Amino acid sequence: MKRLLELLTGTYGPSGSEEDIREVIEKEVREYADEVYTDALGSLIAVKKGKGRKVMLAAHMDQIGLIVTGIDDNGFLRFSNVGGISPFNVIHRKVRFQNGVTGVVSYETELEDIRNLKLGKMYIDIGAKSKDEAKALVNIGDVAVYDAPMAVCGDRVTGCAMDDRAGCAVLVETLKRVRNTDHELYFVFTVQEEVGLRGARTSAYGIMPDIGISVDVTLTGDTPKSRPMAINLGEGPAIKVKDASVIAHPKVKELMIQRAREAGIPYQLEVLEAGGTDSGAIHLTGAGVPSGVISIPCRYVHSAQEMVDLKDLTQAVELLVTILEKEIEI
Amino acid sequence: MKDFLKELIEIPGVSGYEAEIAGYIANEFRQHCDEVVTDPFYNVYGIKRGAGDKSNPKVMLAAHMDEIALMVKDIDKSGFLRFTNIGGVDQRILLAQEVIVHGRDKLTGIVAVMPPHLLSPEDASRAIEMKDMYIDLGLPCERVKELVQVGDLITFKSPLVSMLGSFVNGKSIDDRAGVVILNEVMKELDKLVYQAEVCCVATVQEEVGTRGAIISTYRAEPDIGIAIDVTHGDTPDASKDDTYAMDKGIVVCKGPNMHPGLTERFLEIAREYRMDCQVAVSPRPTGTDARSMQISRAGVPTILVEIPLRYMHTTVETLNLDHIKSAARLIALFIASLKEGWQEWLRY
Ligand SMILES: [Zn+2]
Ligand SMILES: [Zn+2]
Repeated sequence: MKRLLELLTGTYGPSGSEEDIREVIEKEVREYADEVYTDALGSLIAVKKGKGRKVMLAAHMDQIGLIVTGIDDNGFLRFSNVGGISPFNVIHRKVRFQNGVTGVVSYETELEDIRNLKLGKMYIDIGAKSKDEAKALVNIGDVAVYDAPMAVCGDRVTGCAMDDRAGCAVLVETLKRVRNTDHELYFVFTVQEEVGLRGARTSAYGIMPDIGISVDVTLTGDTPKSRPMAINLGEGPAIKVKDASVIAHPKVKELMIQRAREAGIPYQLEVLEAGGTDSGAIHLTGAGVPSGVISIPCRYVHSAQEMVDLKDLTQAVELLVTILEKEIEI
Repeated sequence: MKDFLKELIEIPGVSGYEAEIAGYIANEFRQHCDEVVTDPFYNVYGIKRGAGDKSNPKVMLAAHMDEIALMVKDIDKSGFLRFTNIGGVDQRILLAQEVIVHGRDKLTGIVAVMPPHLLSPEDASRAIEMKDMYIDLGLPCERVKELVQVGDLITFKSPLVSMLGSFVNGKSIDDRAGVVILNEVMKELDKLVYQAEVCCVATVQEEVGTRGAIISTYRAEPDIGIAIDVTHGDTPDASKDDTYAMDKGIVVCKGPNMHPGLTERFLEIAREYRMDCQVAVSPRPTGTDARSMQISRAGVPTILVEIPLRYMHTTVETLNLDHIKSAARLIALFIASLKEGWQEWLRY
């Protein structure tokens, strides 16, 4: 799991430019699936054929990024956000483009009050000395991502893009481990989640599943003076009750709880006030797809150092495997 | 009709958790239509087949059954509950409110409030935000943790109260009044000759983003949509431009979210039968099921009928029962007017 997570979080793939990460995941899943294909928007779908319920499992493979909007005469790059980027999270961060060019993010120091910092007052410095030098390396529309290789802190790891490569790792491991199942399983590595659940929307329409389960990260309430939230890192995967995009179907949620109890897998119940995930799009597909979410507790979401506990990931895999190997009656 | 409304508002039906109220509505619908279907999300479809053949339109009516509420998000060390909202709960009305916590049992709780005596003058004049409020169950912490868990629902206690004349107040009249209208439309249709197939849908999850309408319209695949919801009734402090009289008839909404030809036709029927109608304008997609019905599949010409309601999203939503009757009558007459050549009304 650790090796896989390191590989996935180290691979480039902001929303809309998921080709590198797709290739890496495809290599991981190919030999375990009956069929692997890429849909029209670029989501990667690995199918395990069966006669039972059609289950769509989704984890988004895209990550947030910085998109170049302009290059000034001195070679500094102006940028906008792809997904939820806070100015404070990117100050003096190292970022990397698809072609390997790296840079550092900084801001106009004329600014009187740092609280007024906006992305419009920030730039990426790629070390270029002129516009022409910069243009030889980077184009308008190119996207940079955090360059923050995974680091290990005890049972926990930090690095960029745990949101949602942690979910991708959980799906890959689940696909490898799930054996005795009648259900037809669609492991979907979705694109463009960070810009509005776009990949999940179209891939769910293409699949028209009976049930949807997405795996994504959630926030925690266990850091000093954090907002109250009953989720702690390392206390097990979270079964979502609701977020801003979906109210988990009560029967899917109950099924998850029941399976966790039967298997003795620790779990937490998640009520997330802001933010959404792929199930938000999946459950409103066609005439409706009962859906739920298994969340990986994660600190510092959308920063360059997102922290997860590997135990939560392995237990999420166990929970998914037991759900998929048993009856799914909704 | 009043009894149905009274019973409806006492059954919990929080967005996403509508199984119980859906069952109740299905039972009532069954008495007035040909077929009742409940989908996996608990949208309830009451279907009435008119005298016409396949060339006649399928009309979908939608009124949402769900209600706004609160949800437990954390239990603190002393057994007090922290909570979040489901749908647009007005935090100004929460303090000292009596609530029902749907844990293992139904527990009565109070949204805790500090007595004014203990507050500093600055704090006493400041509004408290929901994130700083908590619910007191009057139980020791261990007991609370046995009975309540994160994700449990919290509903308001506020039964239907009859006021003078035909006014009533209570919680979640938005949009249980609309569900009552659906039921009344079915009864009115029995008195008329009509050609259309009518599908009366009590929708779920409207308060969290018209989610029930998105999936039920896809399932019903109507030719024409009619959304029924509440709008703001006039109060002394509110602008006349944004509110509607409580005694001057139902409100028909105009705007790009609604089909102009059909809306005009509806107003024409009202004039023909000398029934009062007020007209509202919404330049943006409305906050009702109409917004999603219109853009389902290849598009559904949709109109929006609204009932003036005072004090929306509080526990004392106030409404004139006469409007339920007149809305149902007018909608039924409109449906009956859809005869051969009805497609003409959809032309641009
Ligand atoms: Zn995510
Ligand atoms: Zn409403």
